[in-house]
Amino acid sequence: MFDEKELILEAKHVTRRFPAPNHRLLTACNDINLKLYKGKTLGLVGESGCGKSTFMRFLVSLDTPSEGEILFHGKDITKMKGEELRLNRQKIQMVFQDPSGSFNPKMKIRDIICEPLMNFGRIKKSEKDQAARKYLELVDLPGEFADRYPHHMSGGQRQRIAIARAIVLEPEIVVMDEATCALDVSVQKTIIELIVRLQKEKDIAIGFITHDLGLIQSFAHQIAVMYLGNLVEVLPAERLEGAVHPYTKALISAVFDIHMNFSRKIERIESEPPSPLDVPEGCPFQNRCEHCMEICRRVRPALKELAPEHKVACHIYE
Amino acid sequence: MLELNNVTISYTNQPAVCNFHLTLGQGEICSIVGESGSGKTTVVRAILGLLSGGGQVTEGEIRFEGKPLLSNTKEEWRKLRGTDISMIFQDSGAMTNQTRTIGKQFVEYIRTHERISRKDAWDKGVYMLERMCLPNGDNIMKSYPFQLSGGMRQRVGIAMSMTFRPKLLLADEPTSALDVTTQAQIVRQMMELRNEYKTSMLVVTHNLGVAAYMSDQIVVMKNGKIVDAGSRDDILYRSESEYTRNLLNAVPSLGGVRYV
Ligand SMILES: Nc1ncnc2c1ncn2[C@@H]1O[C@H](COP(=O)(O)OP(=O)(O)OP(=O)(O)O)[C@@H](O)[C@H]1O
Ligand SMILES: Nc1ncnc2c1ncn2[C@@H]1O[C@H](COP(=O)(O)OP(=O)(O)OP(=O)(O)O)[C@@H](O)[C@H]1O
Ligand SMILES: [Mg+2]
Ligand SMILES: [Mg+2]
Repeated sequence: MFDEKELILEAKHVTRRFPAPNHRLLTACNDINLKLYKGKTLGLVGESGCGKSTFMRFLVSLDTPSEGEILFHGKDITKMKGEELRLNRQKIQMVFQDPSGSFNPKMKIRDIICEPLMNFGRIKKSEKDQAARKYLELVDLPGEFADRYPHHMSGGQRQRIAIARAIVLEPEIVVMDEATCALDVSVQKTIIELIVRLQKEKDIAIGFITHDLGLIQSFAHQIAVMYLGNLVEVLPAERLEGAVHPYTKALISAVFDIHMNFSRKIERIESEPPSPLDVPEGCPFQNRCEHCMEICRRVRPALKELAPEHKVACHIYE
Repeated sequence: MLELNNVTISYTNQPAVCNFHLTLGQGEICSIVGESGSGKTTVVRAILGLLSGGGQVTEGEIRFEGKPLLSNTKEEWRKLRGTDISMIFQDSGAMTNQTRTIGKQFVEYIRTHERISRKDAWDKGVYMLERMCLPNGDNIMKSYPFQLSGGMRQRVGIAMSMTFRPKLLLADEPTSALDVTTQAQIVRQMMELRNEYKTSMLVVTHNLGVAAYMSDQIVVMKNGKIVDAGSRDDILYRSESEYTRNLLNAVPSLGGVRYV
């Protein structure tokens, strides 16, 4: 499915440590290796706090890894500076997890949407109104919203503004951090169809963070599962139900669905995830895994190929 | 317990919610689902007397334990909010102050509602965080909001709102920022709170699976109006509303439609 000629971005051995209170270190991403391909979507799922946003922020140069490199068309973007970095930013855009925080509340929607276009001199001031309307309509909002302020809109409406803003520059890669979780499922469906259409038309590569497994399976090509800063499984989206890692399986079984049995008791997960400050030696999932073996407490399993395009980090499959 | 009668809410004379009705008994859970922008947050904020930017209830009445809320004075609100009625916001991250640690904010919150030493308030905070599956509560208390992930911030918000065992809990998208295993834990904890303390809950969510699992009643909104309401089975299997059925059809299910 993935053609190496279409590879546009590759993260190699990316690690990020944050300083934590009492001179400790918190490893938010540990030796992550992932690839983005032209016209394909990579879904990133996992525990909240496992490092998904931290990883995606590297792609848009909002943060730099402590170790490792990120090659965009073969060039390491973590080393870029100044004008080169500025120009590169046009090509990789991001929709943030919490769009209200990323907008200037004093700016009208028109200016928010057109800001990137103006920054890179793509349109003239007189063309702003038209451009804003065009993109508002693209995300299914009325053109009149151009005159509103972000705090005069609902959460879902703000989220669509953020999506519109991210695509105005026609980037090669769009990273979306829970970009649809504030939308109702019917608008979400429209947005996903829009994203898929734009992707096909413009060959955009998408990195999509979400907690909704049903959603990501519906339009991703590849799904990567993270746990406590580590990749534990990477597999083709269409084979998600064939996932083998115990954590991925736990995720799948925790999904609420309208077709589920409502009298089923929610499973009590006895143990809690360890704090990211005290990641145990060995497998990060050991204390919650029902298959935990002696070796799992000592040795961290490496991500190994199980089948074509399916990798897993688990001692059961070594 | 909670009653909304024919409530209309407007922002600077533009109605955002029209003729809203709801009756919620003790220990009952009701979910509001529906279109984004249909006024769900507006309803919840109106109940708490916290409408943003020029929002006003222009018609109807809201009663909590028989008492009309709309005529509450500031002092009456202060006593009610955070104790008897508590709220979890759509994004707790934006609600908290970014420049002060979680611990400072949590301790202050506890101490505005209870005469208790700083130390005891701190311990209570840590205890609540750990109940919300946030390991190492002490470290979380010392963190600034930006140092926590979105889901962790949301759980901090939930922990705070549950501190005083409210009689009524209003939750706006409480789990939409959480991974599914944490979501399952939070849903379980909310339902335990209901069973143990008979807390009534009004939950806004886009996750119809969660709504169906938790709720005794479900209200479907579109365009500022209730378009459908009833028990879970009424909504899932017997709804005559076209909008409800559209919504149900759009729910992404594992093994469902694929676009690529
Ligand atoms: N600037 C920072 N300083 C210190 N720690 C941080 C910082 N940013 C993130 N972290 C920590 O790194 C870990 C990963 O955070 P991240 O935001 O990447 O999680 P996430 O997977 O996106 O979670 P969610 O699904 O809840 O959004 C968390 O433990 C978080 O507390
Ligand atoms: N302060 C405000 N001033 C003017 N209009 C507002 C204000 N706040 C909200 N609105 C409008 O009122 C309507 C209802 O907004 P509300 O936030 O209640 O929607 P919601 O159902 O919670 O949506 P979502 O699911 O997207 O969060 C929207 O059309 C919104 O644009
Ligand atoms: Mg995140
Ligand atoms: Mg809302």
